[in-house]
Amino acid sequence: MTDPIELAGLTKSYGSRRGVVDLDLTVREGEVFGYLGPNGAGKTTTIRLLLGTIRALAGSARVFGIDSWSNAAEAHRQLAYLGSDPGFLGELRADEHLDYLARLRGVPARAWCPLAERLGLDPAVQIRKLSRGNRQKVGVVSVFMGREPLLVMDEPTSGLDPLARREFLALVAEARAAGRTVFLSSHNLPEVERSCDRVGIIRDGRLVEVAPVHSLLDEHWRSVSLALDEPAGPGIFDLPNVRVVSEAGRDAHLMVRGDVNALLARLATLRVRDISIDTPDIEDVFLRFYGEPETDTTDRVPEEVAR
Amino acid sequence: MTTLALEFRRGRTLLFWLGLTIVLYTAGMTLFYPQTLSDKEAVDQMLKLWPKEMLAAFSIEGNLGDPGTYFNVYIFSLIWPVIAAIEGILVGTRSTAADLDRGYLELPLATPISRTRYLATTIAVQVVAMALLTVAMILSIVLLGPVIAISFDLPRFALVGVVALAFGCAIAAASTLLGVMTLSRGKAGGIVAGVLLAMYLLQTLSKLAPDLASLSYLSAFRYFAPAPIINLGTIPGGDVAVLGSVAVACWVAALWAFRRRDLIV
Repeated sequence: MTDPIELAGLTKSYGSRRGVVDLDLTVREGEVFGYLGPNGAGKTTTIRLLLGTIRALAGSARVFGIDSWSNAAEAHRQLAYLGSDPGFLGELRADEHLDYLARLRGVPARAWCPLAERLGLDPAVQIRKLSRGNRQKVGVVSVFMGREPLLVMDEPTSGLDPLARREFLALVAEARAAGRTVFLSSHNLPEVERSCDRVGIIRDGRLVEVAPVHSLLDEHWRSVSLALDEPAGPGIFDLPNVRVVSEAGRDAHLMVRGDVNALLARLATLRVRDISIDTPDIEDVFLRFYGEPETDTTDRVPEEVAR
Repeated sequence: MTTLALEFRRGRTLLFWLGLTIVLYTAGMTLFYPQTLSDKEAVDQMLKLWPKEMLAAFSIEGNLGDPGTYFNVYIFSLIWPVIAAIEGILVGTRSTAADLDRGYLELPLATPISRTRYLATTIAVQVVAMALLTVAMILSIVLLGPVIAISFDLPRFALVGVVALAFGCAIAAASTLLGVMTLSRGKAGGIVAGVLLAMYLLQTLSKLAPDLASLSYLSAFRYFAPAPIINLGTIPGGDVAVLGSVAVACWVAALWAFRRRDLIV
């Protein structure tokens, strides 16, 4: 069984401009994969290589085992794509554009109608007269209207209103439930956290982390603030995965990573008046990868969390 | 067929206005032809007063009363190169450089249609559009013959149409190739327009300076000579072969390059 996406040693540069370097990534069937990185990190370059829009200097990109450069048309039978800022033909109406793409992709005529209705898109309007958000809806409808097993999306929710974003997340969930694979790059980290099974983080053209969203969050420090009835005894918080940031009288500020049960067992021996736990979100994780030059970003207690 | 239909649709407005322009202009000049014919002697006298440079620049070789000279000077060497250049450059660069620049190209190319098939379809549209403009131009002359009581030789004008089509296709093909190579409509259009202008000047220069005559072989205008076809019935086989070969070579090169190059602005 071939994986929907296999990138092996993928390298691309544009003259002196860096693209991506030695990228290895496998996206498994039926998962929703989030691809994170700031502007210029190499997200769009990766997607272009995956689509065969540009040719890799080294390595390969495969879609269900099909080389996306040498056999691009065949690879494209397996996927539907939405770009970050698609330049639709303004002179067409939305329905004409969707019909056109449907015919090119072999999608049944008017298969897009229920999706357009769901997203609140008026398909009879000329695309040039649509707002940015409504144009993006045209793209979202087009990517979900077929039955391709792989959906590739570059910043799919940019410009969408909150209602449309919610529908988008529902569509992603439905696609996953139907066994389709979703690969999406995004700046919208809460959405990635909500919708993705795994994420890959790209930095300066290199993939610095690929992990399930939850394990990525678990690997990072959580801040625990305690207000106790009486000061904790010495060594009470001496646990391998716990750091004491500050301890002053009856107040203690700890950092904990991974399994919290051992800490909870210790806390059960104390009289706790109040407790607050700040869980890092994917944004914290993401920013940490970009805020620190070293590759081991998980061992050190981050200052902004410890503060 | 899907892409073909869309490309025709996208080109129809430009085609309509260029077609209307050439039909109105050509019809007007055709209706004016009897006047020139009746004043043939006077026109001849007037032309003798013109400097030879001006005669060469306007391709006036022979008597303006002759239909070949008249229609060559006022239509085929004047408005057709302009119309063919506008259509050729705009349509030749639209589906590659212009569509890439506007961010549209990646949408059809992310579907199962191959790059080769996509570009080949747009080339077919270029040929058909150029052919429609050519037919409109030729029919605007021939069909007005009965109105001005002059019988034009349809086969000879049809042959002019074939050369005009080859000339227009060469422009469109060069634009297509440069559009693929540069991925910039501005650059491709500028180069094609500049080279056409340079070829026109070269052709004029070669007429004025006999020792530079061989340079005319480098000019596309040398191979687009309707006057002898209409006046003498010359078969323009060589000219059509040269222009057609340039067109086919450019299109093939464009297809080859389009398959292999990175599509990124």
